[in-house]
Amino acid sequence: MIAVLGLVVGVVAGLLVRPEVPAVVEPYLPIAVVAALDAVFGGLRAMLDGIFDDKVFVVSFLSNVVVAALIVFLGDKLGVGAQLSTGVVVVLGIRIFSNAAAIRRHVFRA
Amino acid sequence: MSSEDGTPGTSGNPLRRELPEEVAAQAPAGAGEPGPPAAAPEPGGAPGLTGRQRLVKGLWPPRVSRAQLIVALLLFGLGFGLAVQVASTSDDDGALRGARQEDLVRILDELDDRTQRLEEEKQGLEDQRTELENSSDQAEEARKQTVEKERQLGILAGTVAAQGPGITLTVDDGKGTVESDMLLDAVQELRAAGAEAIQVNGVRIVAGTYLTDVGGGVAVDGNKISSPYRFKVIGKPQDLEPALNIPGGVVQTLEKEQATVTVDRVGKIVVDALRPAKQPDYARSSSR
Repeated sequence: MIAVLGLVVGVVAGLLVRPEVPAVVEPYLPIAVVAALDAVFGGLRAMLDGIFDDKVFVVSFLSNVVVAALIVFLGDKLGVGAQLSTGVVVVLGIRIFSNAAAIRRHVFRA
Repeated sequence: MSSEDGTPGTSGNPLRRELPEEVAAQAPAGAGEPGPPAAAPEPGGAPGLTGRQRLVKGLWPPRVSRAQLIVALLLFGLGFGLAVQVASTSDDDGALRGARQEDLVRILDELDDRTQRLEEEKQGLEDQRTELENSSDQAEEARKQTVEKERQLGILAGTVAAQGPGITLTVDDGKGTVESDMLLDAVQELRAAGAEAIQVNGVRIVAGTYLTDVGGGVAVDGNKISSPYRFKVIGKPQDLEPALNIPGGVVQTLEKEQATVTVDRVGKIVVDALRPAKQPDYARSSSR
């Protein structure tokens, strides 16, 4: 419950504060958000499976974000940033979908 | 969307707990649909509890624990980033903000192309406009010239009034001895001296004018006029007056007939007698 509150508070704060995104972070923020979403869905599924562990969640969350940003950064340096970030989004999207499917089975039994 | 603090799983060994999380994120990629729902892993979880029960239990009642707080913090970060990103993308310049360098270059190229095309179109249209203006200017000029020419010809043909320097010639024929040929002589003399517009007693004298004798006077183009005959003549006064006054000329001839003749130079003569423009019956313009 607290975690849900945290998410809601975060969204509200982001909308209210509307901070200027630093130019350095700008290209990585979308990918990082998608990676974090992936981690959150993974965590939710683990919880429904009854195997949730906060340490694992934290590590996977942070590593997901960092790795995603790193890949984009590397792609930019190699000159294939656009393609690579597309690839990352595709992979993360597939994982989110599969996790969502597992969650759906738990919640709706279907 | 919430998370449980994992208490049901704590009984398992750490390896057991760590692995499924990773697997959980990846395994479904393979096991997406094919396996029956029952195949969803239900390892080391709380005995007898379904996922749905666990979800409800995690959501309510709220428990404050370290794990909850950490997860809340992370989710706060996620929500914050999400909102910021969404907000920045939905700015008016959001389309360009989120764009990558290559995309920006491409967009810039497209804009340049578009600008160039529009410039060319504008150039073409401006050329066209200039052309039209020129041609309308030319048409206007031609029209003006035509009007001017019509006016000049109208003076000659007697269809428009004329004004300018000139002389008046008054022939007072008290005895009735002046005949049409004398007046014709006067007209011829005036024409020879460069008279440009002539009228006598309100009748315009033009190229086709004829003078005839009628009882008690003279008819000009069929209009009877009588003494005194007042000529209004536009021309160069210095030429016209001497032409009338030369020895043996018009004035002397008329005076010999007992008529009183006066010639005055006038700065401004108005010849306002008009005659209608007549379409010639047979003669047609051979120009063009």
